[in-house]
Amino acid sequence: MKALLMKDCYVLWKQMRIFILILLVFCLFNGSFGNLFVVIWASMMPYTAMAYDERSKWNQLAAMMPYSTRDIVLSKYALGWLLMVCALVLCLVVQTLARIAGSGLDAVAPSGYLLGLLAGILILNITLPLFFRFGVEKGRMWMFLLIILVCGATGALSSVTISVADGYASMAFQNSILAALVALDVVTTAISVPLSMRLCRAAQ
Amino acid sequence: MNAIELSHINKNFGAFAIQDLNLAVPSGTICGLVGENGAGKSTTIRLLMGALRPDSGTARVLGVDVSSPAFREAKEDIGVVMDEAYFPETMNAAQVGKMMALTYRRWDMGLYRQYLRRFELPEAKAFKDFSRGMRMKLAIAVALSHQPKLLVLDEATAGLDPIVRDEVLEIFNEFTREEDHSILISSHILSDLEKLCDYIAFIHQGRLLFCEEKDLLLEKYGILTDTAEQVEALRPEAVVAREPSGYGGVRCLVRRDLAPAGFQLERPTVEDIILFLVKGAKEQ
Repeated sequence: MKALLMKDCYVLWKQMRIFILILLVFCLFNGSFGNLFVVIWASMMPYTAMAYDERSKWNQLAAMMPYSTRDIVLSKYALGWLLMVCALVLCLVVQTLARIAGSGLDAVAPSGYLLGLLAGILILNITLPLFFRFGVEKGRMWMFLLIILVCGATGALSSVTISVADGYASMAFQNSILAALVALDVVTTAISVPLSMRLCRAAQ
Repeated sequence: MNAIELSHINKNFGAFAIQDLNLAVPSGTICGLVGENGAGKSTTIRLLMGALRPDSGTARVLGVDVSSPAFREAKEDIGVVMDEAYFPETMNAAQVGKMMALTYRRWDMGLYRQYLRRFELPEAKAFKDFSRGMRMKLAIAVALSHQPKLLVLDEATAGLDPIVRDEVLEIFNEFTREEDHSILISSHILSDLEKLCDYIAFIHQGRLLFCEEKDLLLEKYGILTDTAEQVEALRPEAVVAREPSGYGGVRCLVRRDLAPAGFQLERPTVEDIILFLVKGAKEQ
């Protein structure tokens, strides 16, 4: 799987440079929108890697090499998880440095970061099996539909958690939303990964 | 031991089907897989590499059932070159090498760099800027750099200029000097196969028509160029296929064992045999 992750990183390197630039700009927005945006973008990177794979017919060659279906599928999930965490850490570092430098940027509650990560994982879990089933072109349409739904729901939840930071709602309510999202991510991951493996095998 | 053993393989795609395919490539030999476009050569290669599941039948490569989990381990011993080198376009040869070092346990980076130098492949140039010949050379370098015991080559010499093609064929020949090393190669360039192969397997419309030792095959048939009347005088089963040769004459592929003594038969090339067999199959 390390080889496949390395391949995706090489393939995405040009995209990543643009991504890091945009990340730096969006991190400096007040509120949690910037964080959410960069995490959702990071969660879409595996699809870009899949599009490159499809264009070069890499999967045909990979099927001849000693990679298991598990490696092929898990590498895409791992890429998404890795990039989302890196994006959030980078956001956190940039925002902290900006505040130290006296930019007047509001502190984002830890729940704001966590919410972005959980939303990104949810998007990956729902859309990756669709990409393994339908390919990149058709899978992309499904992905945009889901992103609109997930972002809308996350935006609503985000406003609740930000209100919590302002003291309008109870900490217990905020925690229960986050706990529910964690549970949802765990359940969808447990379903999504084996389903993707099955669909990937069926595509062969 | 056979390096490759396909037994009663069937795979139906609707409009096209692989039918009851039986193929055995003995270890230490080079087998050429020939056939028209769409005859099923690439499908056969995908089936024997486990990239495609057959509807029925079994495939064993290097003694391992390709449908078993153990085949993943066996792939360490197999170098594959497909009709195109399907590496991601933004990668370069150096990055491909690093990635393969994490893919194959016996990856030999020194050997890989030697091949890059031998094929004059730049390490830092993006794969998308490679010519077709350079792409194929990179794929060949990758296939040879992890100490494989079996090479599976699908149109691996296509797109190479004659000088490089000759060099690559020499490398393949060197490869089989180890007695447990084998090659299955599909190609449209039949002269290459004639130079290289010990066995010739001919696949036509999804069926394997024969897999025979090349020398026996060349002895089995002869080319007769004569008048139509003379050819008609032969037993019908002796004539595999015929074509007009100009001035009312006929040129035909004849089975030597069924032709009467006294006929002047030319020695055919593998290309002659294949072309006549395809023609014969179409006439039937």
